[in-house]
Amino acid sequence: MTGIGDSGYTLEQLGDYLDSGRLPANPAIDDNAECQAVLASLERFGTLSRDLVERDAASSPAFDESWFGALLAQVTLEARAGRDLPLSSADPRTRLSITEGAVREFVRAAGDAVDGVLVGRCSLSSSDAGVAVDISISVQLGTPVQAAAETVRQAVYTELLKHTELLIESVDVTVTDVHVVTSEDS
Amino acid sequence: MSDLASASDALLAERSADGDTVAFAVLVRRHGPFLRAFATRLTGSAADADDVVQEALIAGWNQLDSLADPAKVRGWFASIVSRKATDRIRARRPVAELDEQRAELQENGPEQRAITTSQLDALGAILDALPEGQRQCWVLKEMGGYSYEEIAEQTGTTVAVVRGRLARARATVIAEMEVWR
Repeated sequence: MTGIGDSGYTLEQLGDYLDSGRLPANPAIDDNAECQAVLASLERFGTLSRDLVERDAASSPAFDESWFGALLAQVTLEARAGRDLPLSSADPRTRLSITEGAVREFVRAAGDAVDGVLVGRCSLSSSDAGVAVDISISVQLGTPVQAAAETVRQAVYTELLKHTELLIESVDVTVTDVHVVTSEDS
Repeated sequence: MSDLASASDALLAERSADGDTVAFAVLVRRHGPFLRAFATRLTGSAADADDVVQEALIAGWNQLDSLADPAKVRGWFASIVSRKATDRIRARRPVAELDEQRAELQENGPEQRAITTSQLDALGAILDALPEGQRQCWVLKEMGGYSYEEIAEQTGTTVAVVRGRLARARATVIAEMEVWR
């Protein structure tokens, strides 16, 4: 027999074995001290590699603001306005519309303004009956969930009526997440 | 008032997919350092890493609708980074130059590299000295956690090539890290 520890297995094969989660179990490797030492080393170097990239990330200098600025400028340029939604108009000769992107901004602003609430996804679907707004929210731990959802629903409805003259069919709010306020820098 | 910095990755990714640039900026500040460190290990160059991460984030912004699980946005960005890094590495160097660089690195033998202050530094130096393809495979496997298939896709090669490169990288790392056992 050759290979590592006279097991008949090469380093490449041991690597494959490790990557397959050591399954199916192979006694020729599992009972071989040298193979076990090599597998332990490979695992350790894997862990060290993850430590290394995390350390690099933690110790790297802050992003250059010009790098950050260029990125956000590009992203803003490519921002998605979405489809146009028709607005009701008193004058039949006039056709007014608003983009979905703008409506979402109103929805997020209204929802975020409610204590302990962050708005997540906001989907809009329009039909003859008007626009149906469906949003998901995250509530801060300790905030009464039902009351928060109802407050958001009302706030979104009111804001949209005030600013957009959209015909609102419904506003549905689903609580999908809970968050705790952290001191993370932003 | 809202404090997006306390929002989950999933919520921020969903808002970003809806076109919220503010939420996207929070995601970038949160995961940018990791992505840059990852890209630096992949490309071996801090300057290339900054470009690669920027390209990847812009591409990501435009494809956020296709992100199936918003909670995994960091890993999703990392996979775009690795594809962009592959493009960058391919574009920048003729093969001859690669060999030259290899020769230079080999003058820095294991004995010399062992005189570093920590295991992490030693491993970092060994990885930096690996041939490009091997280093990419190691970084994607061990730091990115990708499967052979994913690595093959991200680096534009075959699973067999990935397996071979990883095996050679492992042999080198084991041999050169011997002193730290």
